[in-house]
Amino acid sequence: MSFSPKHITYFALLFILVGLLFCADLSMGAVAIPGEAVWQALTGSSQNSSWDYIVLAYRLPKAITALFVGMGLSVSGLLMQTLFRNPLAGPYVLGLSSGSSLGVAVVIMGAAVVPTQLSSILQAPYSIILASCVGSLVVLLAVLVAAQRLKDTMAILVVGLMFGSFSSALVAVLSYFSSAEALQKFTFWSLGSLGNLGWDSIGILGGCVALGLLLSLYTLKALNALLLGENYAKTLGIKFTQTKYILIVATAILAGSITAYVGPIAFIGLAVPHLAKLVFQTSQHQVLFIATILLGAVVLLLCDILTQLPGTSIFLPINAITSIIGAPIVIWLLVKKQRL
Amino acid sequence: MKHAFAFVLYTCCCLVLLQCQQSQTALKTGSKEAIVRYASGFSIQTGNQYSLVTVRNPWPKATQTYTYVFAKKNAVVPDSLNRFPLIRVPVKRVVATSTTHLPSLDLLGESNSLVGFPNLNYISSPNIRTRIEQGKVAELGNNQQMNTELLLNLRPDVIIGYGIDNKNTGLDLLQKSGLAVVFNGDWNEQSPLGKAEWIKFFGVLYSKEVEAEKQFNQIEKAYLATVELAKKATKKPTVLSGAMYQDQWYLPQGESWAAQFIAAAGGTYLWKDSPGSGSLALPFEAVFEKAAQADFWIGPAQFTSYQELTQSSSHYSQFKAYQQRKIATFSTKKGKTGGILYYELAPNRPDLVLQDLVKILHPELLPHYQLYFFAPLR
Repeated sequence: MSFSPKHITYFALLFILVGLLFCADLSMGAVAIPGEAVWQALTGSSQNSSWDYIVLAYRLPKAITALFVGMGLSVSGLLMQTLFRNPLAGPYVLGLSSGSSLGVAVVIMGAAVVPTQLSSILQAPYSIILASCVGSLVVLLAVLVAAQRLKDTMAILVVGLMFGSFSSALVAVLSYFSSAEALQKFTFWSLGSLGNLGWDSIGILGGCVALGLLLSLYTLKALNALLLGENYAKTLGIKFTQTKYILIVATAILAGSITAYVGPIAFIGLAVPHLAKLVFQTSQHQVLFIATILLGAVVLLLCDILTQLPGTSIFLPINAITSIIGAPIVIWLLVKKQRL
Repeated sequence: MKHAFAFVLYTCCCLVLLQCQQSQTALKTGSKEAIVRYASGFSIQTGNQYSLVTVRNPWPKATQTYTYVFAKKNAVVPDSLNRFPLIRVPVKRVVATSTTHLPSLDLLGESNSLVGFPNLNYISSPNIRTRIEQGKVAELGNNQQMNTELLLNLRPDVIIGYGIDNKNTGLDLLQKSGLAVVFNGDWNEQSPLGKAEWIKFFGVLYSKEVEAEKQFNQIEKAYLATVELAKKATKKPTVLSGAMYQDQWYLPQGESWAAQFIAAAGGTYLWKDSPGSGSLALPFEAVFEKAAQADFWIGPAQFTSYQELTQSSSHYSQFKAYQQRKIATFSTKKGKTGGILYYELAPNRPDLVLQDLVKILHPELLPHYQLYFFAPLR
């Protein structure tokens, strides 16, 4: 399929915007570092070693994480909205994030409760990521099993919310029995943060996001057909079951790995696909896929810039910003267009 | 003239009357203001038969003061004091809610009065741990929601509670159930000696005012001597504190208890000019720019080894204090069940905290001293 000239122009504009915001994200922060110093740090000709370190080892990984997270979460939202044929679907609403939280809670806070041999496994470096992925996969599978029995999509969302409440309750029970330090660690994890990843973690996160995106790329054509209903897709020769499982795996990898590394970030997965649909006025998933990736990157970079008022020490959690900034934008767009 | 004379006479009469009235009240209560010299959160008026203790700032921005009447057994308390909660002293069965309450019990020789505590595992005091092992101290569950039934069953003479803000629904409920609750505000006290002075509050509870005074005077003397000693230091090394959760760095504000110790020990705390007595939350880059070259790093939160630090974030290894192995922590010295000794005992023993810090910052001043709370990071 070929893209219309209008879409290509939009893509180009968004791409430039991503570049600009990326640069802005690098040059803004609590410490006021002039633009040329940022450039010098990037090119390795800087004189100020602490600025050098701040730009290269703190701001650059943070900006790259923002890119990955924005892309991955938005695409996982798009996939789920189509799979469930429901505009409310998203990693947060369907309980995927709660599943991840439960996994991480078991790892962080459960170490005190389980026998010692098991607790040493729980404390292994990559256990949090693994637990988070498993958590989100389990919830997604459970929602899907329920989805096969329930024909009403609203019921599926209610099931997702129920799973969310269920895992939150388990987290509450776990937190009652855990030590203050573990509880603190978990609380801070649940606030979300982009700036806590080393290069090796970014490598893994990038790999997971790339894998998830590639898998979803494979399903795009089927997604277009899915919009018209399962049966219709089947008559078109789409292997529905296979597509469905690829979608589930892709979504679980995306949402699970991202939640593991940066915490449960609300809103992006739900809102960005809507933004993409509103801006691009199409239901072609080939277009929407690229649009969602670019818009996701734009929105998250913007949010990351806004967490930090330049030159001050005020710093808000990313999770708050995404919703505070994002929700009004979506409402405004919806009211303006008067449709979903 | 006549008028003027009458006026003078009248004034004199008034003064005499007033004087009489005052001495009369004093006689009735036999009370005098006990000396609380450093703490700003409470005051004590002692008498022969009963004492009045007023707690002023049990938590930040407290809207009211709390006055308690501590009366000896069978002592008659005037009706005018009926509006205040009455507690008969010396108390024999006590429920404490914070580990910071326990050192006072130990110092006054009253550890045996403790009958219940929430989260027993946090307790490090060897005396009390022995009693716990003997099953003489009841576990009351979670601090914010103590098990009401267990508490009612314990029938303590007094519950020493603390609040974090104006809402203390848990403790209010206990009070309505007929249990005596007194608020202890030691944690909201900011000066090192002020925190330690709360032992006098316990002195009244156990009718051991003299003993409490004696214990406090010893601590005060040792503390002030160390302050003098620290003044002999020629350099004032720069100090960083706290650690990151995610990418936010939490460190004490300039007027806080911890910051006052660093200043008294002859160190330059890099955030000493930040207003407030709570904690600061700063983004990593702000801390890095200011403190990358700090000479010492004292109290890196829960971390106990250099390896743990870098596992948590590779950024930590970029600090000079990390590279030169100049990090001291209080998180390695723990009680039998994992409670951190510093959290329990340090507020009561500012003398030991200060000597530790002087030893860390200026080892030449205390050559033979062994660190009590702190230890070099492993």
